[in-house]
This record gives sequence, structure tokens and C-alpha cells, in this order.
Amino acid sequence: MGSSIRKAVELILSADPELLNILSTTARVCLSSSILALIIGVPLGILFGAERFPGRRVLLVLNRTLIGMPPVVCGLLFYMLFSGVGPFRHLHLLFTVKLMIIAQVVLITPIIIGVMETFVADTAPALRETARGLGFGRMKEYRLLINECLYSIFSSYLLSFARAIAEVGAVAMVGGAIAWKTNVMTTAIMMYTNRGSFTLGIALGLILLSLSLLVNIILSVMQGRLSR
Amino acid sequence: MKTNAFSKTYNGRTVLTLPALELPTGQITAVIGPNGSGKSTFAKILAGIERTDDKKPILSGISVGYLPQKSFPFRMSTEKNILQNGKNLSRATKLMKMLGIDHLAKQSAKKLSGGESARMALCRILMRPYDLLILDEPTTAMDMESTLVAEKLIRQTSREQGCALVLITHSISQARRIADRVIVLHQGQFIEQGQSVQVLSKPKQEKTKHFLEFYGL
Amino acid sequence: MKKIVSLMLALVMFFALAVCGQSTAPAFAAAEEPAPAEEAAPVEEPARETDAVVVDTCILLEADDAMINNYSLLAVNPEAPWVDADGNPVSDVAINTVGAAALINWLLSEEGQELAANYGFEEYGEYLFYLKDDRPVSTAEIPAATEENRLIRLSTTTSVNDSGLLGYMLPIFEEKYGYEVEVYSAGTGKSIANAKMGNADLILVHSKKQEEAFIADGFSCVIDGMEAERLNWMYNYFVLCGPSADPAGVKDAADVKAAFAAIAEGKFPFISRGDGSGTHTKELSLWPEELGITAEAESFKDYTDWYISANTGMGACLVMAEEMNAYILTDKATFLTFVANDGVMG
Repeated sequence: MGSSIRKAVELILSADPELLNILSTTARVCLSSSILALIIGVPLGILFGAERFPGRRVLLVLNRTLIGMPPVVCGLLFYMLFSGVGPFRHLHLLFTVKLMIIAQVVLITPIIIGVMETFVADTAPALRETARGLGFGRMKEYRLLINECLYSIFSSYLLSFARAIAEVGAVAMVGGAIAWKTNVMTTAIMMYTNRGSFTLGIALGLILLSLSLLVNIILSVMQGRLSR
Repeated sequence: MKTNAFSKTYNGRTVLTLPALELPTGQITAVIGPNGSGKSTFAKILAGIERTDDKKPILSGISVGYLPQKSFPFRMSTEKNILQNGKNLSRATKLMKMLGIDHLAKQSAKKLSGGESARMALCRILMRPYDLLILDEPTTAMDMESTLVAEKLIRQTSREQGCALVLITHSISQARRIADRVIVLHQGQFIEQGQSVQVLSKPKQEKTKHFLEFYGL
Repeated sequence: MKKIVSLMLALVMFFALAVCGQSTAPAFAAAEEPAPAEEAAPVEEPARETDAVVVDTCILLEADDAMINNYSLLAVNPEAPWVDADGNPVSDVAINTVGAAALINWLLSEEGQELAANYGFEEYGEYLFYLKDDRPVSTAEIPAATEENRLIRLSTTTSVNDSGLLGYMLPIFEEKYGYEVEVYSAGTGKSIANAKMGNADLILVHSKKQEEAFIADGFSCVIDGMEAERLNWMYNYFVLCGPSADPAGVKDAADVKAAFAAIAEGKFPFISRGDGSGTHTKELSLWPEELGITAEAESFKDYTDWYISANTGMGACLVMAEEMNAYILTDKATFLTFVANDGVMG
């Protein structure tokens, strides 16, 4: 453990260009995918929670199933679809950061939808009764509902960011862990582990955890402000 | 103002059946009855939040304000909550002062106590005039002092704005204090209606008598 | 809520620290107890401190003709009988043949061959790869990259990638001609499968059997100026490693097959890659036939007391072998890197 910490510090201090590249790729993939998932997932989650429409229950069951999808299955699916012989071969997306982001969005969005749906389904009826009682229109009703949701939007974002940064199965399949291009922290850790470089793997793991901690501290401070 | 007759069924069980009713403007009509008599359902149907079995509104062409039993505090300050229903800050301040929550104006509405939240909700619904104003147990969470102030405010509103005011209450003494007319419900059935003095002191129906006796009045 | 979040984070960190704390003495500790038969041999118990690791595993058998490890280049055929996941034919698979040919021609040029042949001597005091005497040689002009053929996808094995050979050679090629080479590295089996899915322009692997199947299936093509699809240009040796005490006596074995037979006979622990890699394929071909060991888990279910199918990379397997005093078949390049790094790899 001691040597791993030393190695982690050494790695950071050395500003090893490959490490920096891995870090920036990781940041790009995690931030883009979690923010995209947020943009898609929050409106859908609010819709599922606030509205009653035919097929809603079926969609919710599907969504819960997607939450449980193993990342490696998602990765495999994308690998097959975007392979040189797959139906989407003309897009030339396999082993690119873009496809890694798309795969992660597919993995994360259901989580955000689930979290938002649970919260909104709990809050919306009481809020709606009051808003309609006051004679507010639908637009104002939704504005107030979104205002109620800010805190849980943050919670769901924290969750999805954590999933994105910890995820390895999908990004390894879809990105191919190509050095200088699609290698992220988790795939690098896996690679070092396979090579038997456990100390280096743990050092990278420590850096990953510290980064995750940092992001979480920032976000939870912001979240704390919101709840006031 | 006259409502249409209607009935309301949940899962095949009829929970409320009412004949056409008169709701005079400028007067307070109290709806009383024991728990489960259908008072709140009546309020929701009047407010258009719930639909009757034939899906037709029982009132039309009027603006309706409805204060639910548990009014929802929006995630913002008490003052902003009240200002959601009209921009008139001086009126908001006046209402808050009357109900004794002006010192809580800047505090988050989510952190108000039950009584404070009920007073905030009452201020909020009174920010602008409605043709029909329905208040579902507005004072239940309040202490006696606030209740009396709120009742005064409610009566004042009905007189000044000339709106039809429906007050759902389980408190017969409250109905006696401020209601002009009373409608009695029991197990989803209409029992009787009339001037409050007449109904509450010389009820025509046995069920009303039982209800009043039960509450020791 | 905030409190809960931070509490959970603290827990996660604590858990991570606890796990890391134990990992200097890895999880294999349970298996570390040497078998009683071996206990007599080692005089000193190697004290396993992080900074003073003595690698006990050493090369016991090498330079046996049966252990030659041939590396071949194969260009992917753009006209291959591509099929999608459901077996339906696919016609227009984008393969960068020009780029593949450029890289192959450079690797087989005088410059490329010299770089490959000299790689590793400075660092390890030994050459990691040798050039074949009958290697194909290229003198073809290498065209500079254009926008369409700039990106070259090379699917290769972990042993080549982990040895650092490509990281050493490719930047020179990229700098000079303007190409960009993407290296996908996995075991030979997966690497070839990746190419069959149309995701590689050329492959660099080390399993003759699988290469020949790849060619027979029509997935490779002959590039201009070459005579065959399979361009076997360099080699090194697989080496049989094990504890220096060598309880099975493989050092004195007549040949590698006899050595493997001795290991099986004495049921001495053996770490198998078990991942369909070139090394795994080679290892499978060295066991006495009557044992019937194949890539199928079913085939070695009776040997689990000594035959360990690790299903992981070469380096991780070497660490395991070191911890368990086990025998292992490895490519020499990876083993030398392993020793040079005091048995911790990297």
C-alpha cells in the first residue's frame, strides 16, 4: 500500500504525458456522458413521474431492466453494431471516444430516469393539486416542479458520474483501450492488472478515487447550497 | 352560483352523490360531516381537480381557487411562495402580518412548522380574487389564536370580493362562527342544507342531529 | 443527504485503503504454502518486502526448437468473405489496405528490421526478438499518408505490445510518413476475432495454427511485392520457467515435451494463460497427448490440483507463478521485462 501511494504521487508529480492523456480522456468521456445522460434523462424522468399515459408502466419496467444491464453486454452490443461488419460500420465510430460516450449514455440514462421518476412520482401529485388549486397553467406547474427537482437532479448526476467514472466493461469493449486515444483510467487499470503491474494499477486506482472524491466534494457542496 | 348534480365512483364503489346545489356569492357555505363523508372529494370535484363519473364539470365559466387540506410549500422562501400567486408585495406583506408569519418571510417554506405552513398557504390563496374559493380545512393545523384571525380574514374576503366561498370543515363551532349556510354530508350522501343557524340549532334530519350530538353541541 | 453522501464516500475510501493495504501480500497468499515435497529445497525463505524482491522464478528451459515463437504480419483482405453477427454476408467493409501495406513494407524494410532486431539490448542486455533468416524483405517505396489512408488499425497480441516494441518503433514510422497507427492489443485469439469483425487493417500475431485458419478462411491477402499472406519475419523463444529449485527437474529434461511430461507426472503447479492467446495455444501443444488438455475447461477438470487456468495476461500469470512456486510457459520478452522490474511488472 505504501509503495502504491508513493507510486501514485510520483506519477502525478512526474506529469507523465501518457497519464495526462489517460486522465483527460477519462474526464472527456465521464463528463460528456454524464452530462448528456442528464440532459436526456431528467426530462424523461420528470415526464414518467408526472404524467400518466398508456405504456408508461411498460416503459418503466423496461427502464428498470436497462438499469440492471451489465456494462460489458452494452459494450458487446455496441461493438457488434459498429464493427467493420456491423450495420453501422459506415459511421466509423468503433474505438473512438464518441462511441464510448454514447455507450455510457445508454448505460447511465436509465439510472437518471429511474431516480427522477421515483422522486417526481412522489412529489408531483401534491404539487399539482396545489398549483391547479391556485389556478396556475401547465407551464407554471412544470416550472415549479422542476424547481422542486433541483436537489434530486444533483443526486442523480452524482450517481451517474460515479457510474461513468467507475465503468470499465463497456468502455473497454467499445474503446479498445487504444493508447493515446481511448485508454481511460479503468481500462488502464485493467491492462496493468493483466500485465501483473498491480502496484501501478493500484496507484492509478488511487488517483481515480481521489479525482472522484474531489468531484463529489464540489458537487455535494453545491448540492448543500441548493437544499437551503 | 349553482352546481350540477353528480356522482363519483372509485373502483366501482360510489363514494359521493350530490344533487344540484346553490352556492350564493358573497356568502360562506360550510360543508360539514364526519370523516369519510366525502367533504374533500366534493372540494376536489368543485375545484376541477377530480372528475365526476360523467366527466362533465359541475361548474363552468368561473375562476376557482382551491386550497387543499395539505397545501404544498414550493421550494423557495415563504414570501416568494405567496408571491407565486400575484405580484402585489404590499398585499403579501399585509396578509403575512395579519397571520403573524411576516418574520418568516425570507425563510425557506420547506422549514415551516405545520401551523406556519397552513398560514402561508392561506396567505397564498388569498393573494388574488376568485369567483369561487374553496378552502379545505384551512385552520386545522393552526392554534386557536391563528384560527380566529384566519376566520376573520376568510369572512372579510368573502364579503369584500363577493365570491362564493366554500369552507370544508369538521369543526361545527367554526361553521357556527363564520358560515352563512351549511351543507351536511354523511357517507357520501347529501343530508341537508340551509342557513347555518337553522341547520346547526334545529336540524331537520336525524343524521344531522346524531352528528351534532356526537360532537356534544 | 449531504452527510449520507460524504459518509458513503468515506466508507468507499476506507474500503479501498483496506483492500490496498492487504494487496502488498496479494490474494494468492493462501496458495503460497509450498507443497511439503518442495519444502526441503529452499534454504532461505525469500523475505517478500516491497523494495527488495528477489525473483525466484527463472528460465529453466529455452532455445528448444519446439519452443520457437514466430511472429507474423498479415494484411487483412478487403475482399474477405465478411459476415455479420448473424452470418449474413457484408460487402463494403472499409479496410485501409494502402496503410497496411505501408506499415508492413516499413517493418520489413532495412530500417524497420534493424530497429526490431536491436530492440531491448540496451535495457535488458539481451535481444528480445530475432529476425528470421528467410524473412521477407521489402524495398518498396512507402507512400506518405493521405487523408483517406492516414489511420492504420493494427490488431496485435499483448506480448508484442507489453514488450514495448511497438511503442518504440511506431512513433518513428508515424513521424516519417504521417500515418497514425492505432494498436488494439489482446490475446491472439481475440485479436484475430477483432480483425474478422472488420476492425483491423493488419494483424501481428504468434500462432501459426490460427494464422493459417485466418488465411484459409480468406481473411488475409498478399500485398504487392510479397509472395505469401503470412509474413513470418521475427521470432523469439518461449521459455519454460519455474522455481529455481526445479522440483520436477525440467532443466535436465531431454526436450520440452519431456519437461512438460515431468511436470504433469509430479503434479507440480503449473500456471496456464487459459485465454486463447498464442502462448496458451503453444502450451496446449506441449502436454503429453494422453492427458488430453485443450482450451476447454472440461478437459482439465481432473488436473485442477496442479493445473491452474488463470485466464489473464502474461504478466499477471508470472506474478502468480512467482507467488505459487509454479511452472509457467512464457514468451522470453515478457519474462525479461518481468525480471528487470523485480517481479512487479512496471
